Amino acid sequence: MVEFRGYQEEALGTALDLTHLRRLWPFVRPYRAGFLVAIGILAVSFAVELAGPYVLRLTLDGPVADAVAGRSVDRATIWWLGAAYLAVTLLGAGLGYAYALVTTWCGQRVIRDVRSRLFEHVLGLGPRFFETNPAGKLVTRVTSDVENLNELIATGVLQSLFDLLKIVGILAALFWIDPVLALYTLAVTPVVVGISLLFRRFARDAYRRVRTRLARQNAFTAEAVGGMRTTRVFLQEDAVRGHYHELNRATQGAWIDTVVSFSLFFSVMDFVLRASQAGILWFGGQHLLEGTLSVGAFGQFWLLYNKLTDPIRELGEKYNVLQSAFSSSERIFQILDRPPDLRLPAAPRPTAKGPAALRFEHVWFAYREGMPVLQDIDLAIAQGQVVAVVGPTGAGKTTLLSLLSRLRDPDSGRVLLDGVDLRDLDLTALRRRIAVVQQDVFLFTGTVLDNVRLFDPAIPEAKAEAALRAVGAWEFVQRLPDGLHAKVEERGATFSQGERQLLSFARAIAHDPDVLILDEATANIDTASEARIQEGLRVLLQGRTSLVVAHRLSTVQRADRIVVLQRGRIVEDGDHASLLARGGLYARMLHRVG
Amino acid sequence: MFATFRRFRRAFGLLRAHRGAVFLGALGIPVSAALTLWMPALVADGVGVVQEIGAAGGEAAGRGEGLARLTWIVLTLAGVALAEALAKYLARERLVTASRYVETRLKDDLMAHLVRLPAAWFDRARTGDLISRLTQDVELVRFVVGPALLHGGLALLIVPGGFVRMAQISVPMALVTLACSAAMLGAMAVLMPRIGRMSRLVQEAIGAISQRAAEDFAGVRVLMNFARTDAQAGTMRTLGEEYLQRNLRLTRFRAAIDLFVHTFRNLVVVGVVVLGAAAATRSSLGASDLLEFVLLMQAMVWPLISMGWILATFHRAVAAAERIEEVFETPPEPSGGARPVLRGQVTVQDLTFRYPGQEHPALAGVSFALEPGAKLGLVGPVGSGKSTLLALLLRLYDPPAGTVRVDGHDVLDLDPAVLRATFALAPQDPFLFSDTIAGNVRFGVSATEAAAGDDLEVLAAVEASALDRDLEQIQGGLEAVVGERGITLSGGQKQRVSLARALAANRAALVLDDTLSAVDYSTETTILDRLRRARRGRTMIVASHRLTAVEDSDLILVLDQGRVVERGTHRELVQRGGWYAEMWRRQQEHQALEGGGES
Repeated sequence: MVEFRGYQEEALGTALDLTHLRRLWPFVRPYRAGFLVAIGILAVSFAVELAGPYVLRLTLDGPVADAVAGRSVDRATIWWLGAAYLAVTLLGAGLGYAYALVTTWCGQRVIRDVRSRLFEHVLGLGPRFFETNPAGKLVTRVTSDVENLNELIATGVLQSLFDLLKIVGILAALFWIDPVLALYTLAVTPVVVGISLLFRRFARDAYRRVRTRLARQNAFTAEAVGGMRTTRVFLQEDAVRGHYHELNRATQGAWIDTVVSFSLFFSVMDFVLRASQAGILWFGGQHLLEGTLSVGAFGQFWLLYNKLTDPIRELGEKYNVLQSAFSSSERIFQILDRPPDLRLPAAPRPTAKGPAALRFEHVWFAYREGMPVLQDIDLAIAQGQVVAVVGPTGAGKTTLLSLLSRLRDPDSGRVLLDGVDLRDLDLTALRRRIAVVQQDVFLFTGTVLDNVRLFDPAIPEAKAEAALRAVGAWEFVQRLPDGLHAKVEERGATFSQGERQLLSFARAIAHDPDVLILDEATANIDTASEARIQEGLRVLLQGRTSLVVAHRLSTVQRADRIVVLQRGRIVEDGDHASLLARGGLYARMLHRVG
Repeated sequence: MFATFRRFRRAFGLLRAHRGAVFLGALGIPVSAALTLWMPALVADGVGVVQEIGAAGGEAAGRGEGLARLTWIVLTLAGVALAEALAKYLARERLVTASRYVETRLKDDLMAHLVRLPAAWFDRARTGDLISRLTQDVELVRFVVGPALLHGGLALLIVPGGFVRMAQISVPMALVTLACSAAMLGAMAVLMPRIGRMSRLVQEAIGAISQRAAEDFAGVRVLMNFARTDAQAGTMRTLGEEYLQRNLRLTRFRAAIDLFVHTFRNLVVVGVVVLGAAAATRSSLGASDLLEFVLLMQAMVWPLISMGWILATFHRAVAAAERIEEVFETPPEPSGGARPVLRGQVTVQDLTFRYPGQEHPALAGVSFALEPGAKLGLVGPVGSGKSTLLALLLRLYDPPAGTVRVDGHDVLDLDPAVLRATFALAPQDPFLFSDTIAGNVRFGVSATEAAAGDDLEVLAAVEASALDRDLEQIQGGLEAVVGERGITLSGGQKQRVSLARALAANRAALVLDDTLSAVDYSTETTILDRLRRARRGRTMIVASHRLTAVEDSDLILVLDQGRVVERGTHRELVQRGGWYAEMWRRQQEHQALEGGGES
């Protein structure tokens, strides 16, 4: 029976914290000129916005009043006023357009820079970071969290400051037109705003419920569709349908709450606004009657009052947007603040391509304190020597290999390449000399060529092809629809395990390493590929200093030397014949195979 | 037009269940529209009254009377505003709520239909595409039966009504407004689809970023090992640049719409200022008329914009409705047929099977018989037909008539549900739901059994799958939530949860489709030992790459390209010296070097 308990409500994050802005400054700084332009545009467009109603006032009090009063009207004035209003309109529209472009231009550039920096930083962190942070979570950081920052940079802070300025400015203008009427406005506005915010909050809470419930429902939709076969096989159609129905009903309930709140919000807002306008009409009408207010001034007042409510309401709403942007920024800086696992040398020692000698010097390593995975490993590997590492599961074979390309550094002891501590070498230069073939081959989406040269255009196609030929992979690559340029699906789904292994061999060869580190693939490889892999392996190991976690007897027999690991220690070291003769762990391990 | 509306027949049919609400809501629309158009006149009246008295010289008596008339107008205005708010509330709340009910029903119906579709259908369907039908497409259809009715209805009354009233005030001014409105709508009609296209491009760009990031993070070790992290960061910068450029283009279009709306809306005012002032000099057109005109224009802006918005959305909704109908038109899996109690005796006779649209048969001339309680092993390279054979037993696909029999019944004559109640399948790539581990194990236990029984069955299944040791390491144990698709578990753990699920379902036959491929040797040995005990006379069919999993089978079939190339017991096959013997030798080697039995 299914309960689907995986869908818990998600808690929301942090409060407003302006230190985030300081942290963002280095990213904003390069574009500060653009942001200054945006501020300038905002200031001018505010002036333009105030000008519109003023032109209307001049019209109503000038030509229109003259006409009504039966006085002669100056035609030129009419045209001038028309032209002025036209100018105000076009200028306002143009400025709005410019503002949108400039803020997007700057904001999106900041976003792009933050994203690049974050991505680069994440890739520079060590494997330990990736073990505790699932890829999916990290993807969210570089996509939606970075996106949220835009709210902070482009629309959030700037717009809020401007809204504040607008409110003050419009109120000042209202007082200038008619202080008494302005006082009435000042009394009514908080009521309008208060009611609007109150209803807005209901609506927002309801909407937040919708979002969480809809997210749950959609997540389940994805599971229900993706897991349909499992559902059918276990006859759980009704359970899945029933659970979907429940989630659907829950979402519907939340939706209907929003419908009610939004309908109420809009209607109440409309009514309150119009009632307050009716109040302005009543008070203003009396001032008109008394002659203290002209019709034009009244019209101006009316229009300005309508402009007042928007910035106030938006200011109230900005808070939430900013809050979510702040929690995104916090999550981003949490990652950016994390130093890389590896310390890089300030003045790296040079390393040149060519035959390489390796040495592990009393190396200790533990993933968890007190539980050493490698204990006092001491191992020297001569130039061109092929060393096979064997031992029971969990003996530390894979960990040993990961020290060579500095995926990890030893807790104590040293790993040396040509007599130099790996930690004193330039990391890129080190990794250029080493190629690693993992047991579990990772293929990237792209083409076969992309995967062989790992997107490195410095490796010519001919070299990639030669590498594929050398390891015996050309035969099946050639048969693919586009050969070298054949598409590779996500995780290389269309290739068999044997083919993937051969591609990873080609990848290693194409990078022409001095040192080869190989975690041999498991035996679940079809017989046809197996023969080719054997041959490919021979080519791969030729003339390179190699360290191989071996899963094949043939590989072990071919090795110059066999190192037997047990519980993190080297327990035996020698060639196949001598180890067999010794009758130790190695001999016992191979006993069954005979 | 009617032809396109027919696409929404299902949605409107569902809406009929809420016709009371729809009727009430529809009633609110004309009332609200009429009141909306009345308010500008009232404001203008108020100003007019005041002005009249001012013009008349403004002695005290006139002022008193003026104030009384003004008060009356202001009160009427407040009343009209209240009535308008109520009418609109009624319309919005009733119509939109009804559309939400329709949405829920539509989604429920879709899901109910989906779970009845043949399993084979899902091979061809793309998951993302189906999800978008269940979410975005339904939302688009809802838009038509709810918000579009509301806003479309309001706009169709307010816009023409407004123009009529404007024309009464001044025909030339009304014509200017009409021209401006038409231009605005035209601009929207041109720009909106482009904005739609542009935002899809922007979405694609962020999708590319997200995919690149997901891959690079997942394959980060390879990138590190080959010193390619810097280069990939460069690729990401390029993608970021593309996203930036597309975003800028989108902003240009969005801002252009704002530009047009702003301009045309104010051009009307310019027209009013010039024409109105000019007219005022000739005729009796007063300031109050001009004011009413401007206020009418303001009342019409939103309905005009919503018209453009509805028109732009409508054709997308038509396509969405078509995609939804496509799902409904797919015939469900035939149910019915005999429902006998099966013991799991399997006879396969000269079975040849092709996947639809495939040239090469996935299985060719396969025959074997399996007694209840016996064990069958299936081995062979990838793509040799092992999984296909298992899928046919559960009738996830239909085999040719008479080729596959269970307890003497042709599977085609049986209700598929009976077969699935007989065979419990644990696939190589198991699907876990984001539920607790216990919930996933219990997935195949029927509700009645779960209510009646205890968790002993589950615990036994967990033990037999050697999950018990892992559970000690996992915080929360059985009650730990596994995350979407079991993301918090390793591949081997997922496979073992799936095995436990198959065991707990307590079916007459257990079908393992390379279920232990990601489990290490020593754990596999433990599981195989425990399975032998937990099996309790159940028929077992095991497809595996690891020969140790089939070693004790009563019959082993070696498949290659759909054909049985070797058959016999383990001992016979090893002696034969064919594919099986070679594979066995290699696997023994591998196991030895992994220190099998030596840790």
